[in-house]
Amino acid sequence: MADYEPVLLKHEGVENIRSLEVYRANGGYQSLAKALKTTPDEVIDEVKRANLRGRGGAGFPAGVKWTFLPKDRKRTLLCVNADESEPPTFSNRYLMEADPHMVLEGTILASFATQAQTAYVYMRIEFHEPFHIMQRAIDEAYAAGLLGKNILKSGYDLDVYIHRGAGAYVCGEETGLIESIEGKRGWPRIKPPFPAVEGLFGQPTVVNNVETVANIPHILERGADWFKSIGTDSSSGPKLFCVCGPVNKPGCYEGPMTISCEELVMSDAYGGGMRRGVPLKAVFPGGISMGVLKSDELQMKMDFDDPRNFGLLGLGTAAAVVVNAESDMRDVLRNVSRFYSHESCGQCTQCREGTSWLYKIASRIAMGAGRIEDIDLLEEVSGNMGMMPGFSICGLPDGATFPIRGIVQKFRAELEEGIRNQPSGRADALLNVLN
Amino acid sequence: MPKIIIDGTEIEARDGVPVLQAALESGLDIPHYCYHPGLSIVASCRLCLMEMKLPHPQTKEMGWAPKLFPSCQTPVREGMEVRFGTEKVEANQKTCMEYFLLNHPLDCPVCDQAGECHLQDYSYKFGSAESRMYEQKQVNPKKDIGPKTLLYSDRCVMCTRCVRFANEVAGTGELCVTNRGGRAEIDVFPGVPLDNGMQGNVVDICPVGALLDKDFMFKQRVWFLKGGDSICPGCSTGCAIRVDSNENVVHRLKPRFNPGVNDWWMCDAGRFDFKYVHDVKRIAKPRLRRGQESDTPDWSEIPDIVRYRFEQHIARRGGASVAVVLSPMMANEEAWLLATYIRSLAPEATLLLGHVPIEGEDERYPVGCNDDDAKFTINNEKCPNRRGVEMLIEQLGGSTCAFEVFAKKCADGEFTAAWVVGGYPKGWPTKDLTKSVKKCELLVAQDIFENELTGEAEIVLPACAWVERDGSFTNAGGKIQPFERAIDPIQGARRDGQYLFEIAGNEGLYSGERVREMMADKMAAYANVAEAPLKPAHQH
Repeated sequence: MADYEPVLLKHEGVENIRSLEVYRANGGYQSLAKALKTTPDEVIDEVKRANLRGRGGAGFPAGVKWTFLPKDRKRTLLCVNADESEPPTFSNRYLMEADPHMVLEGTILASFATQAQTAYVYMRIEFHEPFHIMQRAIDEAYAAGLLGKNILKSGYDLDVYIHRGAGAYVCGEETGLIESIEGKRGWPRIKPPFPAVEGLFGQPTVVNNVETVANIPHILERGADWFKSIGTDSSSGPKLFCVCGPVNKPGCYEGPMTISCEELVMSDAYGGGMRRGVPLKAVFPGGISMGVLKSDELQMKMDFDDPRNFGLLGLGTAAAVVVNAESDMRDVLRNVSRFYSHESCGQCTQCREGTSWLYKIASRIAMGAGRIEDIDLLEEVSGNMGMMPGFSICGLPDGATFPIRGIVQKFRAELEEGIRNQPSGRADALLNVLN
Repeated sequence: MPKIIIDGTEIEARDGVPVLQAALESGLDIPHYCYHPGLSIVASCRLCLMEMKLPHPQTKEMGWAPKLFPSCQTPVREGMEVRFGTEKVEANQKTCMEYFLLNHPLDCPVCDQAGECHLQDYSYKFGSAESRMYEQKQVNPKKDIGPKTLLYSDRCVMCTRCVRFANEVAGTGELCVTNRGGRAEIDVFPGVPLDNGMQGNVVDICPVGALLDKDFMFKQRVWFLKGGDSICPGCSTGCAIRVDSNENVVHRLKPRFNPGVNDWWMCDAGRFDFKYVHDVKRIAKPRLRRGQESDTPDWSEIPDIVRYRFEQHIARRGGASVAVVLSPMMANEEAWLLATYIRSLAPEATLLLGHVPIEGEDERYPVGCNDDDAKFTINNEKCPNRRGVEMLIEQLGGSTCAFEVFAKKCADGEFTAAWVVGGYPKGWPTKDLTKSVKKCELLVAQDIFENELTGEAEIVLPACAWVERDGSFTNAGGKIQPFERAIDPIQGARRDGQYLFEIAGNEGLYSGERVREMMADKMAAYANVAEAPLKPAHQH
């Protein structure tokens, strides 16, 4: 993808780009000035026409989301979701560190489009550096009249606050995020009412991802048609990808959503191939929650639709975790299930009990005390949770189901072999202790 | 009244209730933990999931949606069609029941809730007998969370009813959920115990044995308990309660659903202050003074003795010298029997309402709410039937006076015969009152404990505790509520109603209903009191 022109990361390498001055010198806040001269509806229409799909994971069109707000609302609140907690994902963090004003400009534009008077950037507590960088950007913007009362003399007022979460995965779920900003336990809410109608502090609320809002200045600057020319019809625009694991060049990269998973991992423009030449065994291409690909499924396109053809939940955060042949899938299984058992909020029975049970089973298997029937049990338990079949309030358990069931289904032979070959004396001893 | 179809059967539901509530009211047993009609809906136990017919997103044709919906969170709509009796729904119930028991200690043999536990019932009905978890259970701690409550969090199913109760009804918010996921527990904040005037309710609404009543703990297996439908005499709110007793010992009181009065709740004062019922110092026998001697006559002699002494007195001093102090602790029926009996002997006799104990101000819950938003009120009148006795005196007409005036008139010698009914568990009577009343030539004291007044009386009649009587109380809102006898009177005593019934010249057994029929001739309000007790709108 040598001919790809970076958009979101176009300022990479520009010295001192974090300062307002340099950002402005590079064409920053032009879109904002332009947009403030138009109406919010024009901004919404342009974003809708560009088919900007949410970058947070679900891929819901951002412009359409904005139109769910009731027409006769008095007050609107915008939340920018910077709670990035999907295990191998760091693109939001990367973007906020690399170009805080781009994120802020996008935030102001999204607020203008929805006519929000207050925007909250919900940032997880672990983001110390991005917090200070973003806060400095906000302070600069206030000083320059880009925030506060009467922005750029347009008559539009906006206040932006950074709210720091306490570091729970479930607070990345939009209603969990809203509860957390309200100072409550980050427990996702039951819907309806949806946040667009009754969200933060009971007001109509929109929650957008950092990367989603960062795209908006570019759409308004260069037009919806330019945006749609990148990628495919249903997955248009630039996208940040993360690669991590035993590859040569782990990191955050930008590209169109036409690349395949193989390109993302192997190509020199992205992951740069497997470290030490150890063969690849599996990839979790969308953050761990979306599911797993075997080494012969890497042709999957990194767009919003193709993952479904490979038994994945979706594109997710487009952050690939690579597993090489030296890793035991039993350990991967334990690690994955530990995450969900740790992060389940504990509201819904199936998720609360299911995730911890899965972790117990997976750890036992990883310790070398597995039983063949455990594999079926893992599949059954992970099949009994999730929002899509109606078993839970939020989508967290769906994210637990897909990787665990994916590992069990796609790597069943390996798990079975591992269990069969475990030293029997040790396995029996462990089982006796446990039981 | 929308009509909805549940499992192919059309039922009529009340407006705006969730499908779950409609299904429960129609007699279906749908398992549920987190749902409680008196609390907000969280839809988190996921046990009440159902299938629902929805229009197809493209074709708009009605069909069964592939996902399950929480019936507690779905309001009824005219013509909607849902089903519970399918493989998918039942599989979910089974899964959930297995999950609830994964880390449960299964200590039913030592658990107070056993026998009325919805973990037991639902496991039996919807779950499976074996756990497939091979690993060790997670053991959550047992905690002392307040002066009246224990929390065995190892038995908890995390329905968060107690947390919502503390937030929404008590308004004190002492309870919270700590930790996350499978490690989540109910807890109190450090140094802030669960200590509000309604805390006993968390034990009632706990569907399992996690929240325990310290007072009742290890006292009885619940299947030995016999429940009597009663009304709390603690204040004039008139909460409907159930008196749980075994072998004539009351072990606990529980609220009964009573819409508009106490809904699902009762206060701690009402719940725990019944111990005086079994006080050994209670008056158990009638007592009579003959000259300087004290005698305990047989109950069969009492009617004649009472009649003779009053007739003698009236003949000597005239009917206007007789006053009857009707206690607000009395049932309507007892008060009516006594009042009409005396009036039959002396039509000019004065009837008056006795001492009304007042303590502080009304307490409203949630704490700090406006009067109109109150979900529960503890009345400051610490007696059940002030309003009823007042209404009765008004209905019967004739001479009456205020309680303060009565004392003065006794002191002045205007009243020379008095029948004073007490029955208060505490704080009665005052020295001044006794000093005035003891001047009466004929004094009948009907009371539950010995006091200065009973020491002075010619005739002492034991009053029974309300659990031993039956009749009806009229609460502060004017609602006449019948209560039934839960236990027998203490040995030697007779129910107040019974001896008043006999004194009044009736034969046979007293019953509140029978007297109400007699009363209804003159007072129509008493005719339809005995209607069937309200069916609980909620199973647990």
